Amino acid sequence: MDSLNLILCAVAAAALDICILVLIITAYREKKSTKKNWHQVSNDMELAEQDKTYELGCDEVLIGRHASADIRLPDLSVSRYHAMLTVANGVWTIKDIGSKSGIFVNGELTRETILHENDMIKLGNRRLLFRKRRDPRVR
Amino acid sequence: MYANPVAYVFSCIFVLIAHFAMLTNIWFNGNYTEVRDVAVLGAAVIILDIAYFAVILAFKQISYALDFLLILIIGMSVIFQSCFGKVGFDVKHYTTCIVCLAACKAGYMLCRDHKLLQDKKLYIYGAIGVMVLITLVFTSAENMWIEIGSFTLQPSEFIKPLFVLACATSIADQQKKHKILIFNVVYENIALFCIMAVICLVQVKSHDYGSLPTFLSIYAVGFLLRICYPKAKFSKKKLFGVIAVLVVFLLIGLKYAPDYVQHRLHVDIWSDKTGDGYQQSQALIGIANGGWFGVGPGKGFLVNVFAFDNDIVFATISEEWGLLYALMMVLAIIIIASVPLINPTRSYFHGSMSACVCAAFIVQMALNIFGSCNLIPFTGVTIPFISTGGSSLLVSGLMIGMLMAGQSPVFKEHKQKKQEDPEPAWRWKE
Repeated sequence: MDSLNLILCAVAAAALDICILVLIITAYREKKSTKKNWHQVSNDMELAEQDKTYELGCDEVLIGRHASADIRLPDLSVSRYHAMLTVANGVWTIKDIGSKSGIFVNGELTRETILHENDMIKLGNRRLLFRKRRDPRVR
Repeated sequence: MYANPVAYVFSCIFVLIAHFAMLTNIWFNGNYTEVRDVAVLGAAVIILDIAYFAVILAFKQISYALDFLLILIIGMSVIFQSCFGKVGFDVKHYTTCIVCLAACKAGYMLCRDHKLLQDKKLYIYGAIGVMVLITLVFTSAENMWIEIGSFTLQPSEFIKPLFVLACATSIADQQKKHKILIFNVVYENIALFCIMAVICLVQVKSHDYGSLPTFLSIYAVGFLLRICYPKAKFSKKKLFGVIAVLVVFLLIGLKYAPDYVQHRLHVDIWSDKTGDGYQQSQALIGIANGGWFGVGPGKGFLVNVFAFDNDIVFATISEEWGLLYALMMVLAIIIIASVPLINPTRSYFHGSMSACVCAAFIVQMALNIFGSCNLIPFTGVTIPFISTGGSSLLVSGLMIGMLMAGQSPVFKEHKQKKQEDPEPAWRWKE
């Protein structure tokens, strides 16, 4: 293969390389729009405690004391696997998954209920507020 | 409408440029008798690209990165396969690639709504049973394919996406434990293990040992994800116990494997160049002959070796196009498998499905490439999207559709199911 053809071959390989790079950048750009879409699906909600907020980043969020729980509440009054939050059509539902102390939503004991904005959830001794997500930069 | 129109336009342009650069390489360095051959191939690839760019807009997806990567690799596949031996448009492979693209969209439509699939879980188990029966009845150790006219189908390939779905659907039921004697068991885990055992037995009966690692990798990934799933309660002791049992079974399997398998495991390809080591020795010579930039499209000698376009396709590409191109092809497939890492899925179902699909792609590719290079025993599995074979391409398309479903999922509640509420042992009073 002469040098001109070799250069041509290298250029073709470089074009393929650049294309792959551009597609990786596209995937990164899509990450933002996917996040935005998820905020629409999840109705842009979050759980908040006194000084902490918990992002609801998945369609099934497990709350409990165990290290494998999505939202970990290290408190002996909270069961290892206490409650499950699920979302469908933008509506969040909380479900008791066999806890000992139960779930209280706005003071009422419940096994499964649909959550609304500003509902107060009590799991053992912990109180969580179900609210609209706030931008951390805004005080 | 797609949220990133600029990214869409740029991606389309760069995919076209990449394919155009490859076609230009054929124009200057390829082995062809008439310019028309290159022109027809070029037109076919560019038309397929543009048609797919238009078609994907009809599907309301959040992410299109996988579509662009898929059309890039499919275009590369058409160009590679059309150039082996001599440049000429490979109509059969082109048609199969179109079927692969259609299968991809079908896979996406099928898997984007995981709640619907979880409700139809029994149908998935049934489909696996039917495919296993077809494999048992219609195939044998001598012939693993079913011939329908001029087309051949490998039924065991179709078990792969179904098995991935079975692994993914079982993950949601990890919290439903049932007490049998003194053990707390999850029925889905037992069902999945039984399915795995049946598939392995069928593969062994069909002498399709190459597919075994792919199925095992899918199961291993599904199993590991179930351990990570909350409330799986799988202790480290149990995990080490399972690994130890697997290692013991593997050693027993290797010890009592049939003679021809033993021979293939220990064959010295250079002293048996005309026997069992023929394909691998020729593949290594081909890779060395090609160097970094190859001898030129259509100018290789590996086309004279059996299964040059599927089992040793990595070596054939390395010889004609160069190791650089072959490595970039591998990179493109790895990036396809890595997209769920860039943009994580939003449900356990899609997460486990994506992980199982990636495991299948990576293991298949590794078996083919390392087998060609004599780093592991030669198995004869295909490289997804690149090797010829209708069943392989169709299944690869379906599986990438599953990855796309994980990137653009739908969260809908279809029907309210009456479920039994868990009874706590005791409650505190408010």
